[in-house]
Amino acid sequence: MSKNDAFAEAGKTAVLQNIHGTMEFLRKYPPFIQMENAHLAYLVEHCQLRFYAAGDSILKPEDGPVEHFFIVKQGRVHGERPHSARRGTETTFEITAGECFPLAALIGERATRTEHLAAEDTFCLLLGKEAFVRLFALSSPLRDFALRGVSSLLDQVNQQAQLRAAETLGAEYSLDTRLGELTLQTPVSCAPAMPLNEAVRLMHEQHVGSIVIVDPSDQPVGIFTLRDLRRVIAEGCSDLSRPIEQLMTQKPFHLPPEASAFDAAIAMTERHIAHVCVVEKKRLRAVVSERDLFSLQRVDLVHLASTIRHAPRLESLTALRSDIGLLVDRMLAHGASSTQITHIVTLLNDHTVCRVIELTLEDMGNPGIPFSWLCFGSEGRREQTLHTDQDNGILFEAADDAEAAAIRQRLLPLAAQINQHLAQCGFTLCKGNIMAGNPELCLSRSEWSRRFASFVREATPANLLGSSIYFDLRVVWGDEQGCAQLRSQLLEQIADNTLFQRMLAENALRHRPPVGRFRDFVVARKGAQKDTLDLKVEGLTPFVDGARLLALAHGVEASNTLERLRALMEAGVIETQDGAAYEEAYHFIQQTRMQQHQQQARLGQPYSNRVDPDSLNHLDRRILRESFRQAQRLQSSLALRYQL
Amino acid sequence: MNLAWFRGKGPQLDEHQRERLGRLLAAEVPDDRPLGQQRLVVLDLETSGLNMRRDLVLSIGAVVIRDDAIDLGEQFEVTLLRPVQPVSESVLIHGIAPSALAAGCDPAQALLDFMEFLGPSPLLAFHAGFDQRMLARALKQTLGYRLQHRFLDVAEMAPMLFPDSKPRHGGLDDWTEHFHLQVHQRHHASADALVTAELALILFSHARRQGIDSLAALDSRLEHWRRRQNAQML
Repeated sequence: MSKNDAFAEAGKTAVLQNIHGTMEFLRKYPPFIQMENAHLAYLVEHCQLRFYAAGDSILKPEDGPVEHFFIVKQGRVHGERPHSARRGTETTFEITAGECFPLAALIGERATRTEHLAAEDTFCLLLGKEAFVRLFALSSPLRDFALRGVSSLLDQVNQQAQLRAAETLGAEYSLDTRLGELTLQTPVSCAPAMPLNEAVRLMHEQHVGSIVIVDPSDQPVGIFTLRDLRRVIAEGCSDLSRPIEQLMTQKPFHLPPEASAFDAAIAMTERHIAHVCVVEKKRLRAVVSERDLFSLQRVDLVHLASTIRHAPRLESLTALRSDIGLLVDRMLAHGASSTQITHIVTLLNDHTVCRVIELTLEDMGNPGIPFSWLCFGSEGRREQTLHTDQDNGILFEAADDAEAAAIRQRLLPLAAQINQHLAQCGFTLCKGNIMAGNPELCLSRSEWSRRFASFVREATPANLLGSSIYFDLRVVWGDEQGCAQLRSQLLEQIADNTLFQRMLAENALRHRPPVGRFRDFVVARKGAQKDTLDLKVEGLTPFVDGARLLALAHGVEASNTLERLRALMEAGVIETQDGAAYEEAYHFIQQTRMQQHQQQARLGQPYSNRVDPDSLNHLDRRILRESFRQAQRLQSSLALRYQL
Repeated sequence: MNLAWFRGKGPQLDEHQRERLGRLLAAEVPDDRPLGQQRLVVLDLETSGLNMRRDLVLSIGAVVIRDDAIDLGEQFEVTLLRPVQPVSESVLIHGIAPSALAAGCDPAQALLDFMEFLGPSPLLAFHAGFDQRMLARALKQTLGYRLQHRFLDVAEMAPMLFPDSKPRHGGLDDWTEHFHLQVHQRHHASADALVTAELALILFSHARRQGIDSLAALDSRLEHWRRRQNAQML
């Protein structure tokens, strides 16, 4: 039978009830959903349907080169790999209805490296290799899917997210756009010797707010902006013919063309600058201004940050809170990633905290004692979402305990007032009183040091809980040196104390990811939380706890979960592949949580971290399940490492 | 309208049909071959009602189990040309529209096609006794053919192999639900045949674990089980 006949024939059999029914079933899943009808019919009628009882081996390395393309019709299949460190095997992945395997081995014409076992009673459709090869040549959706494997799944999620964003705002760009791809004006530049008045005339003629001063090889040596002009005039400079190099800001901040618009926005917000040079191979390519980013995003991030930083009164800060909500809302709609958003929320929150402290100092009078404002928990990890409460403290230097007590008496009223002011700005007061106004959290460096040492020495449940909050610390306002010393002491103590590490590990296994052995998700059985699972406690916490433990035990100073994971990969503590999978999984759960918060805000509902997996679309649900499974893997690696 | 079946006095077959009838293979006797090497045809009939003497076969669906798998490329599905049936409750069950019956295949043709598809293979069905008698009567009336193929009853195998999980009524719906099987369209002959075949694969897998791996062994175990069931009833 010629190829064309075969497909004409397939068209006819597609009317058979069982062929039709099986096609309908497959049409719910990628890549079948995109396949042509005749190709799908051809696939189905060349399939065998096979049953595997729970525990049966479906495919194993000893079977030799793979002869079939498998699609799970019903049930679950586990991939089992010999355990790297221990006898026995570990489950590396799970495949359920509509999913297929083993793509890499089939395309590579080799045996599978992983044994595939039926995790429960399972039916699979088996397509012979010959028919698969023929379809592979004909059907591009099948080919793309097979070649890209799981990554094509992630692509589809991203495409969906961007599609949704485009629907919401009709936006063409996202903050991910590379600076090199933005259509920016040719930069206005001049030589260092150009007189001030000529440089300003040039800016005026070109309608730009900045001029970049370059050397003969076109390398930027300085920048002069309208803001600088204001300063120069205000300082009473009367000689307008002075060379620009005497008045410019030296060594302007620059980014490569590969950097994203997001990077530029963050740099502006962090550094309080309005212009970023784009430099490629040491040559000036372009200048990105605040205004370019506004027109790109219509999201006033930089402006918002500087408004917060210069807010004249507490009331103005309070009013700005809703703008932060709006900004996050828009960024989510633009398809910004959860990492970008937590980063921005943290940044804006930091600005708000700093401004609140400054305003309170102005208000109550500066006691003239240097101190650092610490934050803990999610704020310390830079992982805040809109829904945030206070976890803070104060660190100061004192010669002895008596002096510490005296300083504390003077700082406490100020700290309590700052806590109250922060509450007015939307930072909910901490129920557990983890706040700087609490005498136990307004301490000198040696007091903090003793307190942390006792956490490590006496591993009571309360101390373990405390360490999971306090050990994610950083300075928001004030000198950072004291905190850095505190942290390095802490890392030394923990590195030496394996018993404490083991207790932390036990603690990190408290929250088990809700992926069951017999069903895909384990959801609450009854009550108001029926059929839901907790994205934060059951999904994110295992990653946060696991990364903290490994970071503390291996001298990693970072406090952010993703930064910790990256540092641990670099140090070789966790394998690069595992670490990358953890990152992706953490990221996806956080993203799902934020999208849910955004939706709740839109509907005027209170924020909740509980989600009904059945309410997610098929793809999201599948990836969420895989993400929870990664959390499970991280936990079992901890259990193994600490012999729990 | 073809009313040959109605005249009762022996079927009216043309030359070609008689030739085909003569070439049909004799039925196999269940033997000791491992189940994996046995071709089995899983059958489901939709009928105009449950009266085995009066009601008619309206459609035939069949799938093949071979090499321990269901081959989706080898299926049989036919709707028979029947005179307009009184619209009764059974229409609501099998859901075959009168128009579909009117557009159906000539019964002699359809039954010959099926017997050629069947070949010498033993048959499996759920409540096999009903399908066996309905099919035998249709073959007798339409083709003058005497059906001698062996039938195995999946409805009987299931409670024998899974005595502890026997659902309350033991119907096809109960067992499909018990094993979480999906039926594309219940009471469609082909779809019911497919789900019966899926059930059979589960049963065979279980039987093999109990050391039963041939039709002969299955047959004798069923015999034994039937006697014990009867003894318990008494």
